[in-house]
Amino acid sequence: MAQSSLDVLLKGSSGKSTRGLLRIIILLTIAAAAVASRLFSVIRFESIIHEFDPWFNFRATKYLVQNGFYSFWDWFDDRMLPPSQCLRVVRSPRYHRAALIQFLPHLGTWHPLGRVTGGTLYPGLMVTSGVIYHILRLLTIPVDIRNVCVLLAPGFSGLTALAMYLLTREMSHSPSAGLLAAAFMGITPGYISRSVAGSYDNEAIAIFLLVFTFFLWIKAVKNGSIMWGALTALFYGYMVSAWGGYVFITNLIPLHVFVLLCMGRYSSRLYISYTTCDHMSALGVFGLIQLVAFAEFVRAYLPGKQFQKLLTSMVLLTFGLGFTGLVLLSVSGVIAPWSGRFYSLWDTGYAKIHIPIIASVSEHQPTAWPAFFFDLNFLIWLFPAGVFMCFQNLKDEHVFVIIYAVLSSYFAGVMVRLMLTLTPIVCVAAALALSTIFDSFLVMTKPTPESKEKANADKSKAFSSTKKPVVGIYSYFSKAIVTGSLTIYLLMFVAHCTWVTSNAYSSPSVVLASRLPDGSQHIIDDYREAYYWLRQNTEDNAKIMSWWDYGYQIGGMADRPTLVDNNTWNNTHIATVGKAMSSREEVSYPILRQHDVDYVLVVFGGLSSGIWPDEIKERDFFTARGEYRVDEEATPTMKNSLMYKMSYYNYNSLFPAGQAVDRVRGVKLPAESPTLNTLEEAFTSENWIIRIFKVKDLDNFGRDHSNAVSFDKDLKRKRATKKKGPRVLRTE
Amino acid sequence: MRFFTATVLGLLTSSLAAATNLTSPSRLALPADFKPQQVFKNTNLVRNTNLEKGYVRETINVVVENIDKQAQTDYYIPFPSDVFERVGGFEVRDKKATDKGRFVVDATEAVSTSGNQYFIVHLPEPLAPKSQITLGISYSVLNSLSPRPATIGQSDKQYLHYAFSAYVPSAYQTITQKTKVKFPSTDVPDYTTTSDLKSGADPERKGATYTYGPYDTAKVVPGTEYPIAVRYEFTNPVVTVHLLERDLEVSHWGGNLATEDRYWLRNNGSELTSQFSRVDWTFANYQRAPTSAVREITYPLKPGSVDPYFIDDIGNVSTSRYRPGNGKTAGNLELKPRYPIFGGWNYSFKVGWNNDLAAFLRETAKPDSWVLKVPFIQGPKASEGVQYERVVVRVVLPEGAHNVRFQTAEGSSSNGLPGANQIHASLSSFKTFMDTLGRTTLTLEVDGLTDEARDAELIVTYDYTLMDALRKPLTLFGGLLSVFIALWAISNIDVSIKKR
Repeated sequence: MAQSSLDVLLKGSSGKSTRGLLRIIILLTIAAAAVASRLFSVIRFESIIHEFDPWFNFRATKYLVQNGFYSFWDWFDDRMLPPSQCLRVVRSPRYHRAALIQFLPHLGTWHPLGRVTGGTLYPGLMVTSGVIYHILRLLTIPVDIRNVCVLLAPGFSGLTALAMYLLTREMSHSPSAGLLAAAFMGITPGYISRSVAGSYDNEAIAIFLLVFTFFLWIKAVKNGSIMWGALTALFYGYMVSAWGGYVFITNLIPLHVFVLLCMGRYSSRLYISYTTCDHMSALGVFGLIQLVAFAEFVRAYLPGKQFQKLLTSMVLLTFGLGFTGLVLLSVSGVIAPWSGRFYSLWDTGYAKIHIPIIASVSEHQPTAWPAFFFDLNFLIWLFPAGVFMCFQNLKDEHVFVIIYAVLSSYFAGVMVRLMLTLTPIVCVAAALALSTIFDSFLVMTKPTPESKEKANADKSKAFSSTKKPVVGIYSYFSKAIVTGSLTIYLLMFVAHCTWVTSNAYSSPSVVLASRLPDGSQHIIDDYREAYYWLRQNTEDNAKIMSWWDYGYQIGGMADRPTLVDNNTWNNTHIATVGKAMSSREEVSYPILRQHDVDYVLVVFGGLSSGIWPDEIKERDFFTARGEYRVDEEATPTMKNSLMYKMSYYNYNSLFPAGQAVDRVRGVKLPAESPTLNTLEEAFTSENWIIRIFKVKDLDNFGRDHSNAVSFDKDLKRKRATKKKGPRVLRTE
Repeated sequence: MRFFTATVLGLLTSSLAAATNLTSPSRLALPADFKPQQVFKNTNLVRNTNLEKGYVRETINVVVENIDKQAQTDYYIPFPSDVFERVGGFEVRDKKATDKGRFVVDATEAVSTSGNQYFIVHLPEPLAPKSQITLGISYSVLNSLSPRPATIGQSDKQYLHYAFSAYVPSAYQTITQKTKVKFPSTDVPDYTTTSDLKSGADPERKGATYTYGPYDTAKVVPGTEYPIAVRYEFTNPVVTVHLLERDLEVSHWGGNLATEDRYWLRNNGSELTSQFSRVDWTFANYQRAPTSAVREITYPLKPGSVDPYFIDDIGNVSTSRYRPGNGKTAGNLELKPRYPIFGGWNYSFKVGWNNDLAAFLRETAKPDSWVLKVPFIQGPKASEGVQYERVVVRVVLPEGAHNVRFQTAEGSSSNGLPGANQIHASLSSFKTFMDTLGRTTLTLEVDGLTDEARDAELIVTYDYTLMDALRKPLTLFGGLLSVFIALWAISNIDVSIKKR
C-alpha cells in the first residue's frame, strides 16, 4: 500500500509537481542557510558595519537616503552638509571643480583637497540599499538604514544561491547539479569571506549580479531570444554600476563569443543574443560578429571547405590586427585603459615597484596555495573533474564554463581578492562532477545487459568523444562505498565552512573580542570609544590626521574630516601624512600647521590583556616603515619620530619605574617617557589602542614649543621647592 | 490605589463632556507697569535651599494673611525673567492639608518695567480678610550653579558657586524670614557673612546647614535684594540632560510595553585645565576616588523589565550590565559610558527595554475603555542628581485609539512635575509596521525637570474597540490577497509573439 501511495506522489504529472515543490523547498532552505551562516557576527557582537571600506559605503548610503539621488550624484564629500549648502556651489557655473575645491577647503575628507565623491564610487550598492530602504518605508516597516546595509550582503547571498541554481541547471540535465551548486555557493567560505553581515561592500551584491548575468547570458545564447539578451544587458549595466570587477564580464562574454566563433559555432542565436547586449569595450568582437554574420551570408554562395578556411583566416587576421593595434596604442600612451591594479594582474611584480600603496593591501597580494583549500575545501579537487565533464559534453554553455574556469583560476592565483570570482565557477564545476557521480552511483536498479549492448551499438555509430559514456554500477557495495565517502566529504565540507565562517570571517574588526582568564568573553571597544569621544567633544570641523586605513572609520563614526582615507586616490597626500608621522617634531609641526590639523590619532595598543589580532601592530607600524624596533636600542630617528613619541608618551607611568613593557611587541621600553613639545595628549582609550593628541597652537609669547615646555618645567620645579617653606595662614 | 481609581472614575465622567483635555500652556500677558496689589502679608517665611545635588531645590513655607477688605484668591510669586525660565516642577500646596493636592498655578509673561515674571497661585477657596493660610511652595532651579574655578585638574576637588538674595523675592511685605542652606558637605571655603542684617553671627552654622536670618523685614520694601554668594565642594558631576526623548509604545496584540529613552547629556562641572590623562584616570578609578566625571550611570527599571539595550550613535555600548530584579524588586541597568564624562564633555545615548503590558494597563468598567499608568520619566538614579532641560514623552497608543486623555498621579507630596496646565500636550499619528491610519500618539513636553520627577506617574485613558484591534490583520489579509490576485492575473497574460 505504502509503495503505491509513494508511486502516486513520485510518478506521472503529480510526481512532477511533487518534485517541483520539493525543489522549491530545498532551494528556500539553501537560501535560508546561506543567510543564516552569515549572521555569526550579528549574533556574537551586534548589527554593525565591518572593517574599513564598508564604513564609507555606509556613510554614502546614509547621505543618499537623506538627500536623495540627485544630490548624491553631485556629492562633494563635505561630511553630510545639507545639500543646499554645497550644491549651490557645485551647480553654479562660475566655479568649476578646481575652484570649488578651494571654496570648501575646511569641510571635506582629504583635507584640504576634498574629494568628488559622486564621481569616484560605484553607486550600485548604495542605490540598491536605498531602494530597499524606501520600499520598506513605503510599507511603513520601521527599518534602520544601518540594518539594511548590514543585512544586504547575507540577503543577496541567498539570491546568489538561487541564481547559481538557475545557472547550473542550464549546464546539466541532472536535477541535482543545480541544487548542489546552490548549496555550495550558499556556504562556501570563498564567497562568505566577502559577504558576512556587516561587510557592506560592492562585492556583496556584485557576485549575485555576476552569476545572474551569466545565467541570463547562457539563457540568451541557448534560446537566441531578444528578451534574454535584453535582460542580460540590463543586469550587466547594473553590475557595471556596482563593482569595479565588471571588467571581468566585459571581457568574459566577448571572449566566449570569440571562442565560439573560432570554433565555427556561429548561429543566429548567438548573433541575436550578443548584439542585443552589446558592450562598449567589447567593440572589437562586436565588429567581428557583424563580419561573421556577413560571412555567413556569403557562405550560402561558397562551397563548405573553402569557406571554412576563409572564415578562420579572416577571424584570426582581424583579431591579430586589433590586438596589435591595442598594444601599440597602450604602449604609445594614446589610450590608458588599464589602472594600476589591472596591471598587477598581468605582472605580479608591477604593483610592488610602482604603487606600493596597492601592494601594501593584503588582499592585493598573490594567493597562497593553502588559501584555495581554506576557501573552497573539497570543491577545489572536484573543480578539474567538473571542467573535464564540460569537455565531454561540449555545448556552447560548456565552452563558457571552460573559459570562465581558466581565466578565473589564473586571476585568483594572482590576487587574493579575486578568489571571489573563482568561487562561482568552482561551485558549478564541482556540482557538475558530483551530480554525475551521484547520478551514477545512487541508482538502485542495476542496468540491464540490453541497455549496455544498446550502448555499444550506439557507440559504433557516433564519435566516442562526443558521446556520453554509459556508466552502470552493478555492485551495491561499491555504490555504498562511493556514496558513503562522498557524503562524509559533504558533511566535512559543511563543518569546515561553518568553522571558517565562524572563526575567520565574522569579526567586525571594529570591535575585538578577547577571553578573560576565567573564559568569559571580554569585548574591547577602544576604536568606538575614541571615535565617539571625537564625535561628541571636539569641534564640528576639527581636522583629524591619522594613517589612511582609519580615514573611513573616522569619517563614519567620528563624523570629522580627515586628511587621508581608504580611497587612496592621491598618493602624494598620503606620503605627506606619512612624513608628518615619521619625522622629528620640528619637521612635523609645520606640516601639521599647514594642513590645519587639530588632532592626530595613532593606533597603539601596547597594553594588551588578551589575544590581539596581528593587524594592530602591523597596520600602523609595519606598513609605514618596513621594519622597526621600539626598545632601548631603537635608532634615534625612531625615537624622535612623531609616531613613536605619540605611541609611548607617558606610557611608562603605568608601570613601576624602569619596568615599562610593550606586551604586544614583547619588548622592554626605555625608562624615560618621550617628551612631546608640539602636541598634547587629548584622549587615550581604555586599553591604550587609540591615542589622540591635540596639536598645540602657536605659543603666546612667540617662543618655539620646546623652549616653552622646558621653561614651564623649570617653573614647576621652582614652585615645588618654594612650597616646602613654612605655610602661611591666610588672614582676613 | 484608591486615589488612582478615583481619578480614573472622575476622568471617565468628565470625558463624556469633553473629548480631550489636551492643553498647551499659555502665559498671561501683564501690563507693562504691572505690580501685584498689596492684598497679602507674609507673616512668616522659611526658605530651605538644598544644594546637595547638581541643581538647586527650594521649598518655601510661608504664612500668608489677607490684609485686604475683600476675600482674595490670587497670590503672586515673582522671579526675575532669567531665573523664571529655569524654574522647574513648580508646585504650591496648602501646607496644612497637603492631601488636597496642588493649587492651580498660572505663569505670566515678563513685566517690562520690573523684569519680573510671576506665578499666579489660585487659591481653591478665597481667603477671607484677616485669615491666614500656610503655603508650601516647592521648585527647583536648573543651571544656577557655576563651577569655581571653572577649570580644574583631573583629580582635583570641584567647587560650585551659588548666588542668591538673603531676602526671599516676594511681591508682598514679609514680616520675618530666614533661609536655611543645606550643603553636601562641611567643606564650604567661601560664604558671605552679613553684618548689619541681624544681631549675632549670620549665618549660623550647624554642620553642613547654614542659616541666614531670621531677619525682621517688616520695613523692607518687597523686591529688595541682599546678595549672598556661597562656594562649596561638590566633587560630583553636574549631570545635565539637554533633551530627553522618551517613547512608550503600547501594543495590545503583543501584550507589550516598549520603552526607549534617548538622552543628550552633558556634564556642567569644571572643565579640565589640561587634556585628559588616561594614566591618572586609571589610577583614580582603581582607588575609586571621588571625581567630577560621570563614571557610571545606574538606571533602575521596573520589576519585570526585559531585553534592555544601551546604544549610541555608532552602535552597541558593550560596557553595560543588567541586574534584573527578582519579581518585586526593581532591576538595575548599570551603564558605563564609552568614556568618562568630564566637565564640558557631551555624551548621547539610548536605552530601551520591554515590559509586560498587563502590569500597566487595565480595562475600565466601561467596555473598550482602557487606562494606562506608566512612569513619566525613569532617568538615572544618582546621589548627585540629574537635571533635565527639556523632556518630550511620547505615548504611542494602538492604531485606532481615540478619546485620549491624560493626567498625572498626585500624591500628598510633590511629584516633581509642574501642574498639568504647564505641560504641552498634543495628539498626532505615527505610522509604523504597516499601519493604515497610523497610531494615535500623545506627546507631552515639559521644560525644566529634575530627577525628583522620577516617581511621577502618567495616567492615560483611551478608547479602543475590537474593530480597531482587527484592523491590522484584515488589512494584511486584504493586502496579501490583492498581491496574489495581481500575480495570478499577470501570469495569465500571454505576451509571447509565437503563433498559437
